[in-house]
Amino acid sequence: MTQPTGVDDRRSLHVRLSVVQYTLAVVFCALTVSFWIFQVVQHAQFKEIAESQYLQRVPLPAPRGLLMDRHGTILVENKDSFNIVLLRERAKDIDRTLETLAAATGVEVGPLREIVERRRREPAYRPIVLIPDATEPQVIAMRARRLEMPGVEELPVPTRRYGADFGAHLFGYVGEVTETQLQRADYKELNAGAIVGQAGLEHAYNALLMGTEGAKDVIVNSRGREIKVLDQEQAVVGTPLQLTIDADLQQSAEDGFKHYGMVHAGRPYNGAAVVLDPRSGEVLSLVSLPAYDPNKFAVGIDRATWASLTTDKERPLQNRALQATYSPGSTFKIVVATAAMEEGVATPDFRVHCNGGATFYGRRFACWNKSGHGSVDMRHAIEQSCNVYFYTLGQMLGVDRIHKWASALGLGEINGIDLPNEVSGLVPSEAWKQRVRKERWYPGETISVAIGQGQVNVTPLSLAVMMMTVANGGTRYTPHLLKGVDRGKGLEPFTPPPPRSQVRMKDSTVRALREGLWLAVNGAGTAGRARLEGRDVSGKTGTAQVISLTGALRARGKIDVRDHGWFVFMAPRDNPVLAGVIFAEHAEHGYFGASIAKHIIDTYFAKLEGRPLPKLEKPPATNVIAAATPTPQRSGGTQ
Amino acid sequence: MFERRLFFHIDWALLSALLCIVGIGIAMIYSTTYVTTPGGGHVGPQVWTQIYALILGVIALVIFLAIDYRMLAEHSLFVYAGLIGLLVFVLFKGSTQFGAQRWIALGPLNLQPSEFARLTVALILAMFFGENRRGARNTSDLVIGGFFTLVPLLLIAKQPDLGTAVTLLPVFFGVTYLAGLRMRLLGVIVLAGILIAPLAWTFALEDYQKSRIQMFIDPSKDPRGAGYQTIQARITVGSGGLTGKGFMQGTQNQYKFLPVAHNDFIFSVLAEEQGFVGVLAGLGLYLFVILRSLEAARLAKDRLGAYLVGGIIAGFSFQVIYNVAMSVGLAPVKGITLPLMSYGGSSLIATMATFGLILNVRMRRFTN
Repeated sequence: MTQPTGVDDRRSLHVRLSVVQYTLAVVFCALTVSFWIFQVVQHAQFKEIAESQYLQRVPLPAPRGLLMDRHGTILVENKDSFNIVLLRERAKDIDRTLETLAAATGVEVGPLREIVERRRREPAYRPIVLIPDATEPQVIAMRARRLEMPGVEELPVPTRRYGADFGAHLFGYVGEVTETQLQRADYKELNAGAIVGQAGLEHAYNALLMGTEGAKDVIVNSRGREIKVLDQEQAVVGTPLQLTIDADLQQSAEDGFKHYGMVHAGRPYNGAAVVLDPRSGEVLSLVSLPAYDPNKFAVGIDRATWASLTTDKERPLQNRALQATYSPGSTFKIVVATAAMEEGVATPDFRVHCNGGATFYGRRFACWNKSGHGSVDMRHAIEQSCNVYFYTLGQMLGVDRIHKWASALGLGEINGIDLPNEVSGLVPSEAWKQRVRKERWYPGETISVAIGQGQVNVTPLSLAVMMMTVANGGTRYTPHLLKGVDRGKGLEPFTPPPPRSQVRMKDSTVRALREGLWLAVNGAGTAGRARLEGRDVSGKTGTAQVISLTGALRARGKIDVRDHGWFVFMAPRDNPVLAGVIFAEHAEHGYFGASIAKHIIDTYFAKLEGRPLPKLEKPPATNVIAAATPTPQRSGGTQ
Repeated sequence: MFERRLFFHIDWALLSALLCIVGIGIAMIYSTTYVTTPGGGHVGPQVWTQIYALILGVIALVIFLAIDYRMLAEHSLFVYAGLIGLLVFVLFKGSTQFGAQRWIALGPLNLQPSEFARLTVALILAMFFGENRRGARNTSDLVIGGFFTLVPLLLIAKQPDLGTAVTLLPVFFGVTYLAGLRMRLLGVIVLAGILIAPLAWTFALEDYQKSRIQMFIDPSKDPRGAGYQTIQARITVGSGGLTGKGFMQGTQNQYKFLPVAHNDFIFSVLAEEQGFVGVLAGLGLYLFVILRSLEAARLAKDRLGAYLVGGIIAGFSFQVIYNVAMSVGLAPVKGITLPLMSYGGSSLIATMATFGLILNVRMRRFTN
């Protein structure tokens, strides 16, 4: 049946078998050489790639240091919030997953798709944050439907928590470190994505508050799941800081703006308040309104909110207390009085007769009181804010001596508070005008400056410093917010910065100023609303014109042209423990600010003496409109 | 039928080498499929399936050893018809897994008829060329042989399982080459293949097959998509080094960076965990099996036996070489498993059966 192989066939078969055998042997040798090249020659390179695939360093964010007030009340803390994230490696159908998530949590699916699309090019194991700072119901809804959407997870993130409507400009906010910050030497150690302070104290004391980021080395599988922790370096919590702020005083100031704004204008006042301890420069309260909600920045602010904050005409991001300047109005008379007495130009008993106006350098300057104040001395000129008296002092002093004393009291100067972006304001001098305007100073201009008009512009903070310096007799302490630092061994007092400048004012000057300011509140002056039984509150109102009278007519209806109101104060008159400023935008009269100051001072003493803190009654809804109707009073002066 | 003395002519060396390879395979499957749980872990079910298949494979080997191969060859047409019947059956009635109809559900074991195609084709071609005087010198005979090869090839390709289908070609060339295929004709066939390739590219290949080939040419184009497997295979092998990372210590394998590790990429796992040393052992064993089998062809008492061994070994060598090249990222990823070592019951049983035939040929070299 089968054909036995012939000799020829057999030979040919053997040759061909040998060919096959040798060929296969050569191929196997080639394969062996290939493996040699990959496994031995290029081993180090492949080993590194393999390790980079499964070894990963995961940063452990350090919680930021707590902020507490001078009595230890916690003002800013950290809480875990939950981000809902997508791990693409584990997700099956991303489109459907997003739809399910959107339906479960009640968010729009469009923006979720955009987020994923935007980060498409990143490595797939890196989680994409879909819903930052998810609400509790959202997290619960997500957990309930987790099986339907593999790859969707919750990720706890330590998050800053701030009180609502409280000290926003004081604390500032945190956010991801920016590209430009990363270029700077003090941010060199940080990685992209690190959370740093971007405004306020969070920014000023970022280095202390940040702590040190930890890290863990983990083994991950191809789906990015953590399999084993190899090494862990704990994060070091940021340094807790004790502030000079008194939480109750801060709250009373914030409440005051809301309450008296509602009473007098039908809406909360915008503005600023600074309260200092004139014995040390400690800031007890610092308010700027309108404010923003710093919590919104804590887990990454969305674009819409950011845009509305930056384009808002009311500028909620600006800290009015130190980043904006206004005309000081009559509060500047305190500076002129100080200069006159200290320079020996006038004594406290120096008298001027006011009949409603006076002529200087050929031009008539009016007093706000057209019927005149009659003969007034220094104290009563301050009490009644007599323009003619201060015109006269201004003419006698000249602008340079006014400038000298304004600077000594902190006006037109940087006062060095530990908050970012303080501006200096301006008090003019002859040299300034020559330098900036390339013109010589006209003596007539000094007359306007003497009542706080013309070129004079100041920050609310600098007026508080002025009151502090007057209150303590000449020491211009650096206003500061940091009282103590806890470096792990309990609170250690923080050494305050040295005073910015110091003069020794004459006792007679100090006494005359105190009496004049006391009379303004407790006598026939304009600040009666700040009067507080037994507290000897002393102070002075002022109005800052927003726009000239003719301009006001032109701009009618387009912008708010009502004047700003000032109230500067100290309490008590002898050995003051409080000094400060209230600035109420478009309040028209300084005496509305006096009401706010009274509430703050009342709160201070109530707390000091252990009495229940004063409460502001809710304003009745009626009468508001009537009270808000402005009473025009622009007879060319300030009160 | 089974004479006692034949027992002494069994090639024990070849058999030991085969079992050695299967043993390495089971160890590697154990490593890749081990299920880790928070409390510890347990052996993956694939290990038991493979051991079960090994037992069936040894039985198949004994059966194909016991029956005289010449008797089998005489009935090769029936065997062939049976295969075609099964292939047609799976095409219409087979169960679908991983997007292809390949399996016949047989209780606990899923039978994959295509795995038995190489054996059957080798048998019928050896019979056809071994039993005529002319060998493979005649063109019309070549056409008939080609027809025997193409029918199952197309049926398998239709499943679609191009990887397995293609392995029938070396069987055809193995038998016809030994049967005296003229070199000129071989040249013509190779040339025709080169000319047909662009046409096949345009009309015959599915998109996923094209993308596999494209990605092989430049894997970095899409490192997370089709090029991923090729890149990961190279990393797996390269990071193994000279002595390897140790049993069950391969990071590419254990952390699942290497896909289908227990199947297509079992040799990469060996390279990672046992290093170049393990590769030398593995390749050495395979080369030994191949050369030893070809010795059986040399010793065969008739052309039928020699061609049978030649056809089987051609298909086997092609699979081994292709899979090993793929496991080091030197060939496009294709569903060609490593015979004897990769996970896969039908493949193991069928391969053991073919080696039963090879042992058969050698064992019966002195009988008439």
